[in-house]
Amino acid sequence: MKDPDSEAQLPLPCIAPESGAQIIPLPARPKNLAKQWLSKTATDEVRAKPIAKRSKSKNLWYALYLPQLRELDPAQQKKYLDQLAGHMQSVSSTVSFHPQALICEIRSSLKYFSGIDVIHKNLQKLIEKQLQQWNLAGDIFYAASPTVSGSLLLARSGNNILVYRQENLRSALGQLSTDVLDLNKEQRRRLLNMGIRHLRDIWRLPSDGLRKRFGSNFVNQLNMALGKAAEPTHNYIPPPAFVASYDLPYEIENLDRLLPIADELLAQLCDFLRRRDLSTSSLVLSLFHEKRDSTEINIGLRMASRSQQHLTLLLETHFDRLSIPAPVVAIKIEVKKFDAFFAKSDSLLKDEASGSASYSDSNLNQFMEQLQARLGENHVKSVNSTTQHCPEHASLQLDYKENPNRGGRAAISTEVSANPRPLWLLQEPKQLNINKGRLFYRKPITIVSGPERIETHWWSGIDVCRDYYVAREHSGSRLWIYREKSGQRNWFLHGFFA
Amino acid sequence: MTTIQNHSDTQLPYQNQYPSTQADAFHGAGSSDIDELIQGNPKLWRGCDMAGQSMHGRSTGFTQLDAILPGRGWPEKGLMEIITPHWGMGELQLLIPLMRSIVEQGKWILWISPPYLLYAPALVQAGINTDQVLVVKLDTSCKDALWSMEKALQTENCGLVLAWQNWLPTKVLRRLQLAAETGDTLGVLFKHHDSEHSPSPIRLKIQDSYSENAGFNESEVTVIKARGNFRSLSANINLYQQA
Repeated sequence: MKDPDSEAQLPLPCIAPESGAQIIPLPARPKNLAKQWLSKTATDEVRAKPIAKRSKSKNLWYALYLPQLRELDPAQQKKYLDQLAGHMQSVSSTVSFHPQALICEIRSSLKYFSGIDVIHKNLQKLIEKQLQQWNLAGDIFYAASPTVSGSLLLARSGNNILVYRQENLRSALGQLSTDVLDLNKEQRRRLLNMGIRHLRDIWRLPSDGLRKRFGSNFVNQLNMALGKAAEPTHNYIPPPAFVASYDLPYEIENLDRLLPIADELLAQLCDFLRRRDLSTSSLVLSLFHEKRDSTEINIGLRMASRSQQHLTLLLETHFDRLSIPAPVVAIKIEVKKFDAFFAKSDSLLKDEASGSASYSDSNLNQFMEQLQARLGENHVKSVNSTTQHCPEHASLQLDYKENPNRGGRAAISTEVSANPRPLWLLQEPKQLNINKGRLFYRKPITIVSGPERIETHWWSGIDVCRDYYVAREHSGSRLWIYREKSGQRNWFLHGFFA
Repeated sequence: MTTIQNHSDTQLPYQNQYPSTQADAFHGAGSSDIDELIQGNPKLWRGCDMAGQSMHGRSTGFTQLDAILPGRGWPEKGLMEIITPHWGMGELQLLIPLMRSIVEQGKWILWISPPYLLYAPALVQAGINTDQVLVVKLDTSCKDALWSMEKALQTENCGLVLAWQNWLPTKVLRRLQLAAETGDTLGVLFKHHDSEHSPSPIRLKIQDSYSENAGFNESEVTVIKARGNFRSLSANINLYQQA
């Protein structure tokens, strides 16, 4: 069976013909097709065998075992291993995760680094430095062999062995104590009772018996170590990062002319996101100037998106109100936050979509983003009524963003007083004049209904004690006025019924 | 062209049923079916009294106002101007039933820089869900306010956009009207002064009333212009039904 990883480990395409032992060349002439075909395959099979063997043993796995990670909790271990894997990527394109160990393929980079010693020294330097940073013990165990599990077992034994050839693997592994195997207590006890101390003792036992007594996992583990079974690897995938920049051939002062270039970068970004199946909710566009600090535009999205059209629209809106201190010489886009991409699924029934569901939030979100991009974050408000008794505090204007689960807040209520309340409230109550014994605003005022007494906020020092009336002005508008119950007993206008 | 087509369409099936003259059927004398057919067609304009107009508008909630508006109610989309000498003369009361129906549709109401604080308890009392109300702050520049208005009118999620702008050039008004038509949205502009040549399809005015009578409850609303009307009409409406 062909190793599924072998393709991933071939960075250079020139090696491809060598690995393609299965490829049967087409007959040169159509004559005697069947005969030729037969003979070809026959000869190929003969030839293929040693090649296949070579391609099997082409991998050389370098294992790094860090027993000091054992004491840490799994999340921390994963974090450390992730970082170390990042370092290991400097020597190999394939890094695989194992418990407290990292294993990388180094055969393909042997020539580049001119020998395994250099690779080892490079890695050791990097990893010891990193371990020192984390205040962990600096001892590392390493080994290299043609199989992943083999290298891991060798590294665990702490002997730091290098086995180049698969033929020597069996004897090398045989010397190891059975402690290196991943066994539970019961299996360990059973091995001990059987008098098995080293792996070579296991080699001598029949495999079906072993399978019966220790389970197939145990046998598979050994087979994998010997290269007899396929070995799955948990490859390290570096976290996504996107930075794209463009140096302008000449300085641009007009942002409109910058837009097509930014659009080009956004196209790259969206392409990247599509390939990684991601979307973004926060990105930064930097405009660089000569001898000045760069201008940064933060683009935040309410709902993660990867639509180029949407991003361009937002950028355009930002550009509209942006003034740059100097001409732009370069432009850069960097993604701050990646999000998983969720495709919108259509409803099964057509009728459903045409109902109120079509005024879905996504459309509104796009509109709100645009609005906030243009007007500024705190210019768009939602209106909420609260349980406060005091008229000034009964209505709350919150930033639209502050209230993501709309209507779900305890302080916001839908219960209001049964008494009339005006649609418009004055920011500051306005004192009313009394002219010839009549209240006067723009025109004389007549009281329609009232009073409604509101007494509250005595605890805050600003005592509210008012009698509210509904009044009508001669022009026809309804006013909400009050008279203070204490102090000057002045009349104030507080709102319009509009 | 279409008008004529509609006439013949509506009349043909009934010719046998009602052997009276065409003029009789046209005036709907004694046949409510025909009335319904004729009035149900928004493209059909009849140059007779307003009371006989078709019902394709959204009811204003005030029967007297419905009677003088073409289509017996607010239009589904477009731009309206409401002119008042001061802010707070009942112009919002006029729109409360409309706002309620828009919120029930699941659409949003955007208030662009209202002159005073919008008071949430009053909205709740009027039966308007405040979750679907958004306010753009007062200190927004005129340019930004107009930009937001245009964008909001183009967005289908917004059902009603209210803005307070006293003086706008014809070009801007036309542009807003166009935006409202693309977004199927109703835009309302509140102003202090009437401009005679405004292209908005509907212009209403709430009059100053100088009645000395303390029990006076009605405001005079004049339809200065409405697409479909050929003369200005006014009605006395009790705007403060709840208050």
